[in-house]
Amino acid sequence: MRILILVAFLLVPALGLRDAWAQGHPVTPEAAAMRKTCADAMNADPTFAQAIVETINADTARQHRNAADDVAKNQKHVLGAYAAMWVLAAAFLIFMWRRQQKLVGEIAQLKRDLEAAAK
Amino acid sequence: MKSKGIPLLAGLAAVGFAVTVFLVFTYAPLVEDPVLMFNQKIFYYHVAHAFMLFLATAVCGVCSLIYLKTRKPKWDDLALASAEVAALFGAVVLATGMIWAKAAWDIWWTWEKRLTMSLLLWLVLVGYVLVRRFAGASADRLAAGLAAFGTVGIPFIYFMVDASDHHPKAGAQGVAATLPPEMKLVFWLSVLTFLLWCCALVASRVQAARAERELREIREKGLDAGLFT
Repeated sequence: MRILILVAFLLVPALGLRDAWAQGHPVTPEAAAMRKTCADAMNADPTFAQAIVETINADTARQHRNAADDVAKNQKHVLGAYAAMWVLAAAFLIFMWRRQQKLVGEIAQLKRDLEAAAK
Repeated sequence: MKSKGIPLLAGLAAVGFAVTVFLVFTYAPLVEDPVLMFNQKIFYYHVAHAFMLFLATAVCGVCSLIYLKTRKPKWDDLALASAEVAALFGAVVLATGMIWAKAAWDIWWTWEKRLTMSLLLWLVLVGYVLVRRFAGASADRLAAGLAAFGTVGIPFIYFMVDASDHHPKAGAQGVAATLPPEMKLVFWLSVLTFLLWCCALVASRVQAARAERELREIREKGLDAGLFT
């Protein structure tokens, strides 16, 4: 229950701040009032303040850990880059092979033309 | 190049691919970097391809200049082959670079100096290939001038990085020069692999370009002699 109250007290000003930042507006008076209420509650009870700090620290640390894990384990960009390299190399080889086939065809045509001219 | 040379180069490159892929994912350590992490594995191929882009473009530019001076077709064949291979390596550099940018900076593209110049160089190379394909009788000379123009961009791409850019600096303080020993070994092995691959592609394309030119010349002589209709 205490955690829920803490989260409620923190979420409202946090959301207000986020919206204000996103829209380029200053913090609303309501959010400022909520923040003052929260600050007063923290100042009135040191254990309450400590609990808030511990909760936030743990939560922040968990979020950072999750983000780091996500980056560390995310292999899609590496796979994408290697795939792009192989696809482009394969496309170039196919391009070369087609030119080679065209060349073979032209040589055969030239032979036929020479034989026809010799007759 | 002798007929056995190209398969030998391609075979060595294939072995190099297998070895470098194995080493990149099993031997090369991950440098502590909270942004890049596993994505730094792209570096080994992305930068190696960039080196080959520079090399192939420089070969194309130098051969084009020699061709303009001497008009010997062998230099034109080598320039054409190098330009096409450089265009391939440039496409890989841009594609892998964009994917890396998304992973590291969360953007696909930014108009910083090195990226913009790299794109321009690649467009010049594509322009070279298109000129050779569609510009008619004087295509070889037009394309040679274009190649010489494009080659001038290489040092700008390599050195033109400052603190405001996303890319790290080049040269003695650059990433490649300051790698830990294990990463340096894998990186230079990767560069060697792509050098072999680049040489195999250029040699193969030179052979084809020479055959195409000789065939064209024989047909023109035949037409002049009235052998063909």
